[in-house]
Amino acid sequence: MRPHILIPFGAFAMGAGAVQAQSINILMEAVPDTTYVQELLPEFEEATGIDVNLEVVNYAEMHTKLVPQLVSNSGSYSAIVVDFYWVGEFYRAGWMQPLDDRIEADGFDTSVYVPAMMDLVGEVEGTTYMLPFYNYAMGLLYRTDLLEDEANRTAWKEEHGSELRPPETWDEYRDQVAFFTKDGIYGVVNQGLRPDPIAMEWSNYLFAHGGTFMDETWHATFNSDEGVAALKAYIANIDQYGPVGAASFSFDEAFNVFSQGQAYSYITYNFFRAAVDDPSQSSVAGAAEIMGVPGPTPGEGGSLNGAWGWAIPRSSPDPDAAWEFLKWVESPEIAKRRALMGGSPTRLDVFDDAEVIAEYPQTEALKELLLGAHNFPTFTYTPQFVEVLGRELSLAVAGEKSAREALDAAAEEFDALAERDGRRG
Amino acid sequence: MERRDRRFGWMLSAPGLLLLGAVVLFPIVWAGLTSFFDYTLLMPGYDSFVGIGNYRMAAGQGEFLHSAWITLLFVVAVVAIQFVIGMVVALALNDARRGKSVYYLILLCPLLINPVVVGLMWRMILHPTLGIVNWLLGTVGIAPVNWLGAPDMAFWTVVLVDIWHQVSFMVVLLLAGLSALPTEPYEAARCDGATAFQRFWHITLPLMRPVIIVTLLIRMIFAIKTYDIIYIMTRGGPGVATDLISYFIYRRAFVSLDLGQACAMAVMLLVVIAGMTAMLWRAMRQVGE
Repeated sequence: MRPHILIPFGAFAMGAGAVQAQSINILMEAVPDTTYVQELLPEFEEATGIDVNLEVVNYAEMHTKLVPQLVSNSGSYSAIVVDFYWVGEFYRAGWMQPLDDRIEADGFDTSVYVPAMMDLVGEVEGTTYMLPFYNYAMGLLYRTDLLEDEANRTAWKEEHGSELRPPETWDEYRDQVAFFTKDGIYGVVNQGLRPDPIAMEWSNYLFAHGGTFMDETWHATFNSDEGVAALKAYIANIDQYGPVGAASFSFDEAFNVFSQGQAYSYITYNFFRAAVDDPSQSSVAGAAEIMGVPGPTPGEGGSLNGAWGWAIPRSSPDPDAAWEFLKWVESPEIAKRRALMGGSPTRLDVFDDAEVIAEYPQTEALKELLLGAHNFPTFTYTPQFVEVLGRELSLAVAGEKSAREALDAAAEEFDALAERDGRRG
Repeated sequence: MERRDRRFGWMLSAPGLLLLGAVVLFPIVWAGLTSFFDYTLLMPGYDSFVGIGNYRMAAGQGEFLHSAWITLLFVVAVVAIQFVIGMVVALALNDARRGKSVYYLILLCPLLINPVVVGLMWRMILHPTLGIVNWLLGTVGIAPVNWLGAPDMAFWTVVLVDIWHQVSFMVVLLLAGLSALPTEPYEAARCDGATAFQRFWHITLPLMRPVIIVTLLIRMIFAIKTYDIIYIMTRGGPGVATDLISYFIYRRAFVSLDLGQACAMAVMLLVVIAGMTAMLWRAMRQVGE
């Protein structure tokens, strides 16, 4: 949309000077971090005179709505938010404008961002295309009340000869999942819906078992023994320690099971941590905490990284106004205020802010989680790879393929996609 | 005079025809054309002509063929079951003396609900641990049913939800046909001592044949295009148990961004539906005669 030129009828009739008002459209996902931006928008509009129209839709609709606008020479969206696994695709198609000149001209400091965030939703091949918006690195939500329960502590000590505590390794976590599956409680709830819920969740299992997605030459490695063990562990959790139907749960359904107190643990996006403490949607408020997904050894984390970045599309009708908005929304003050409202930061200065830590004591744990998280392969065909991986994992969970067969099939398609993307040199 | 009338007729029809050309004909022609090119949204352009390459690739792709097979099973299941239920309900309603409009209203309620809402609603109702159906089953000692998490059960769950949503369409069409049947053959049959089943088998079914064919064909065409319920309820899973063809083509276009292949698949689907529509048209002409 071109900047609107609004000419009040009275002013026009009197021949007075026209009043110009710019407006920008941004497509965003219906998540808490979007709500925080929405609440702060009037301040931006008042300060700059630029109207911001946020079109808020569900995640599943975003890619479908964005692509036609990005392909055209002049789209509707002045600024966009980009999920990390669209980055390679958007970059290859040339749909995002480089931001380096604007960053330099305005002296915008990008060194404050967590480096992994800049890698994921900031820079591509040495050029900055995005400013990291919020992170959704995955972590382990677990019930602190069950860990502190005296009967549980005694039973655990008798069974395992150690103290019951937040798990330090994957093996310890696995034992806890089995231990807590009793008395109508499940040890774990999973999000097995294809494609992205299962693909994202299983990635944590892969890293927690010491596996990787690929080697340096972009050959798939996730069908290694570690990968197979990770998938077998995933299937065991769904079949033996989780509620019936977890193979078809999306994250909201899985979260409902956890928040209704029916599961000890749930590997999920860190923004759910705040929702757990909201009594209107959780019966375990104050009785759950989040930590990084435990890895093979106490020092290694198994969490999957995830984030959204702000970008200005090539088809942006008003890139200057869009940049004004990006500068404002990612300014230290607004980034901090979003975090104080419950947002998931991407800036180190916000993570270290005393006021933010005082409001949300889990901020330090979330920072640790983010610093230890692993990235998903990002390349032109990441969305297709998520589709393939989700399908094959779901086939294995449904018992239609063995873990090895499913991962081999996904690996073969990954190699073909990497080849098509010219990643093999 | 006749020529002027014809010209006037064309003038009146022109806006509608132009609109139809723009929103129906143009996309179809464009899709047909695109299906012969290696056209992706990443690099849109008609530089690479591949002939029937996209069609050959689709026809040789196991995943696509599997989706076609699942779609066929789905169509047969929903249409057959809906027909049986629809016919029974229509026969019962046809004999109803009072409260017909109330029955109509109740029956039509599901049909008036948007398919996306239907999908979301049933996902909540069938939630294995928090849904009301499993809770009710639990009160009589039945173990929780894994409605959407096991491949076979997920397929039948989707079939049942579609039946719940669409069966009233079948009832309404069949009932309209039954209401229009002449009464004389029935009176004659009664005089001859025919039983209710004999009257149904030898009079109702033959007389209703054209209406039944039209109803089945319309319902089959709608069923082949089923997309919303799958998108909301299963995303084609678990595994590939409910991966219907429309959802498959959608993913090829908007996830893989491969419009060339997606268009080829869509054209193949269009040919099937066009063939069925031709049969429908012939059947309707028979009804008219």
